[in-house]
Amino acid sequence: MNRTALVWRLASFAVAAGFIALWQLIANLKLVSPVFLPGPDRAWAALVRGFSSGDLWSKLAGTLEHMAYGWLAASIAGIAIGAIIGSSRTMRTYVAPSLEFLRPLPVSAIIPVAIAMLGLTQAMALFVIAFGAIWPIMLATIHGFAAVEPRLYEVARSLQMSRLAVIFKIALPSASPDILAGMRLSLTVALILSVVCEILAGLDGLGHWVLLSARSFRSADLFAGVILLGVTGYVTSVAMSLAEHRLLAWQAAQQ
Amino acid sequence: MASAAKRLEAISGMPAPQIRFDAVTLQLGGKTIIEDLSLGVQPGEFLCIVGASGCGKTTALRLAAGLYQPTSGKVNFDGQPMREPRREIAIVFQDYGKALLPWRTAAGNVSLALEAGGMPSAERPARIEELLRTVGLPGHAGKYPSEMSGGMQQRLQIARCLAQEPKTLLMDEPFGALDAMTRQGLQDEVLSLVAASGATVIFVTHDLDEAIYLGDRVIGLLPHPGRIGIELSVNLPRPRDQLSTREHPEFLRLRRQLFDFIKASEH
Repeated sequence: MNRTALVWRLASFAVAAGFIALWQLIANLKLVSPVFLPGPDRAWAALVRGFSSGDLWSKLAGTLEHMAYGWLAASIAGIAIGAIIGSSRTMRTYVAPSLEFLRPLPVSAIIPVAIAMLGLTQAMALFVIAFGAIWPIMLATIHGFAAVEPRLYEVARSLQMSRLAVIFKIALPSASPDILAGMRLSLTVALILSVVCEILAGLDGLGHWVLLSARSFRSADLFAGVILLGVTGYVTSVAMSLAEHRLLAWQAAQQ
Repeated sequence: MASAAKRLEAISGMPAPQIRFDAVTLQLGGKTIIEDLSLGVQPGEFLCIVGASGCGKTTALRLAAGLYQPTSGKVNFDGQPMREPRREIAIVFQDYGKALLPWRTAAGNVSLALEAGGMPSAERPARIEELLRTVGLPGHAGKYPSEMSGGMQQRLQIARCLAQEPKTLLMDEPFGALDAMTRQGLQDEVLSLVAASGATVIFVTHDLDEAIYLGDRVIGLLPHPGRIGIELSVNLPRPRDQLSTREHPEFLRLRRQLFDFIKASEH
């Protein structure tokens, strides 16, 4: 890391520290009732308490599980469907309008439908999360497959490569930057929908924890849950970026 | 079919052509790009095709590759009709940047052709190293195409084509985007590679000097629609030399003839 980058990094930490100090100040001055707003000290204590009693661990595991299953299902289905649509011009022409109609549909609108059909179950949560998270992945895959350099298909033809080899050795790697970017976007979507499903269906997870804490005016626990959700979003996103960086090392070489 | 070709060879005393265009016409989008083109390329021959831009020289090459099918007429390879591209025919594209896999290293790009040919993975590394050495890229196996110069990328594409062990090498203005020094170096390397492998070459270029320097025969196409306008045998001694060949009276005579032809074809 060079010196300017280090300075910026330090500055960003200073800003974050400033916000926390401001939060503590507001709490100490009781500008907002302590019933609703705990200071960072109390939120931290709640976090430590929750983890040492083991309650938060199981909630965190629940949320991570919902998120991971939904996201993985969305990734597999999104890449498969996106590859089929993206590699055929005819398919793109026929299917694209329907996709354009479905895509902007707020996922929250289909939650009641999913509940009516699947009940307040894990399966419902999985369906909703996967349905919401599939769009960025599928659309990115379609774009990635449609944008494969035609010259490479000619190279494949002159090498008499099989259809399967063309998909796995040419189309998929060529589309991988788009696909991974889509997967990163859906990671956030999956987290949001996990929390929503846990709140609506009472499934074990941080969403449920946050809801129960709020209902019983345990504001410190509520904030502990929110902080943990923020950390979860941040950590998964960073992990995804690292994976992207590794998988797309050849792109870094291009710059 | 092959035996018919053999018989023909026995009767005529000439080897049967490896690639044969028989009254080939190609229409694309209602336009006639190539009209009534007949042409035979002998095994081991180095044929150069020149012509003003838009004369269909690249199209003719794509027909030979099997990337296009003629509207009428026939393209034969080893006596058999070309219905689709085949591994025995390798194509060196002009735009090397687009024809290489950017996510594979130099070794990986060569490996693609070996994988397609079904070579067991244990045997690939040695062959890859050998091919990279052949095209003058030893020690660059781990580099990505984007880390290489244009000349190196084109060498890499040639290495991948050699990995196909082609009977025929089709080259579409392969050095068109390179600077003069790199270009001359690569011309000589291609000549020695071809001499060593015995492959048949069809080489498309807009550089008339390059065509004469490399070819056993040069064909000039006339535009709108593409058809043969001139055919010259190049009887210059081999191996060719960048200085003495280009100063040879025969070289200069052919050069004048070809320049006059191109000038006339542009009117």
